[in-house]
Amino acid sequence: MQESTIHADRELDVRGAQCPIPIIRARQEINQLQVGQTLKVIATDPGSVNDFKGWAQTAKNIELVKQEETTDTNQKRVYIHYIRRTA
Amino acid sequence: MHNQQATVKTHELKLMLDRGDKFVLLDVRNQEEFERWRIEGRHPLEVKHVPYFRFVEDPDNAIQGLPKDQLIVAVCAKGGSSAWVVNEVLRPRGFQAVNLEGGMLAWGSYYQVQELPESSSRLRIYQLNRVARGCLHHIIAYGPGLDQAVVIDPPRHTDKVLDFIGQKNLKVTAIIDTHAHADHVSGGVKLSQITSAPYYLHPYDGIHPMDVLPATFAYEMLKDGMQFDLNGAKLTVLHIPGHTLGNTALFLESSDRRYLFSGDSIFLQSIARPDLGGRAETWTPLHYKSLYTRLLTLPDDTIVLPGHYSRPQEARADGLFAATLGELKRTNVDLRTYTELEFRNHILSSLPQFPPQYVDIKRVNLGLLAADADRIEELELGKNVCALATAYKT
Repeated sequence: MQESTIHADRELDVRGAQCPIPIIRARQEINQLQVGQTLKVIATDPGSVNDFKGWAQTAKNIELVKQEETTDTNQKRVYIHYIRRTA
Repeated sequence: MHNQQATVKTHELKLMLDRGDKFVLLDVRNQEEFERWRIEGRHPLEVKHVPYFRFVEDPDNAIQGLPKDQLIVAVCAKGGSSAWVVNEVLRPRGFQAVNLEGGMLAWGSYYQVQELPESSSRLRIYQLNRVARGCLHHIIAYGPGLDQAVVIDPPRHTDKVLDFIGQKNLKVTAIIDTHAHADHVSGGVKLSQITSAPYYLHPYDGIHPMDVLPATFAYEMLKDGMQFDLNGAKLTVLHIPGHTLGNTALFLESSDRRYLFSGDSIFLQSIARPDLGGRAETWTPLHYKSLYTRLLTLPDDTIVLPGHYSRPQEARADGLFAATLGELKRTNVDLRTYTELEFRNHILSSLPQFPPQYVDIKRVNLGLLAADADRIEELELGKNVCALATAYKT
């Protein structure tokens, strides 16, 4: 499993949730962060990969730092999205 | 005030599309998914693409351009995001919006069943149309009580096939795959296990053309000239290599009519591509011979029932995908009276992109690859690309 070198200020676990929940929750969490801070989102929905990319391009005050695909401790495939608040 | 969930089901949406109802299809999926495949009908359809996260970020901006005076049908991948957009954003703002229940996932597994009106005494032919992908599957009901059936190219959603068979009180006597499919997972083996009817495939298609490995299950072998007796009507197997090496078409003759279940050989507005085994150069001459010396020499009044279509507009006014061989010779651009060389040049310059997932789908169909439901959904994403590129030009 890949070790990430990105420091996350907050973590959002939306495993098991299907869209639109991951992005709705991510937006709520980002609003709680300070500018420059990073949110780590853990999702199981494969659709989240393109959705988070698209969301980061559309939304005004965030950027997509990195995306990873790995397995969690339960051997379930998870998708990690690092989102930084930029404004 | 709590808004009632407003939804439309897949079969209802299909009716709306067939009628040419005026509504706006609001697709809220991301760009990649929208480009991969989308809902279409035979009439012009107004489509608006606004990814759902735009409604999350800035709903007042996202609703710009949406009509207040027309029905909006929202669709997403599985029905969750579109339901949210409809119930939390659009309806509270006074839009007449409804959600496609189950989204593209449900649309992808929806089959419309229609009976061919050109039936014969003691024969009924049913066409199952997997609308999202352009796949066609057929059931021939025969026998004095019309209580026996042959299933041709059964889809993997065997529950849908079994529901239909149950409704019509049919006993399946044979299950035939015209060829080993590369674009969709076949329900042939599974249906055979459930109904105990034998499953037929041509042995040349029992070997994966890329892996050169045999199917891991036993099956009954189709052979050129083999006949099935359907209570007096005859179903003859024609071995027509080209699209695959073990490709077959099934010629049905009753007392007064002839039908050709052409699988992937002749389509209504194109022909099947011969490159999915990775050997376009060597398979094209076989394809030419099969089409021109075997299929096109059948009687002109033969009703052709293909295995795929590329555009909903290929359907007849009654919604069925069927045409006589005579009509096809006049209108199908890929069935011109080509010489072999002209045909070869035409084929080799008209090949669409090779879909890499087709190699895996065929492995699944031969039992060489195990795939769970999620993986199969992924593999089957998108419309079929079994025809030459000419079929996809808009």
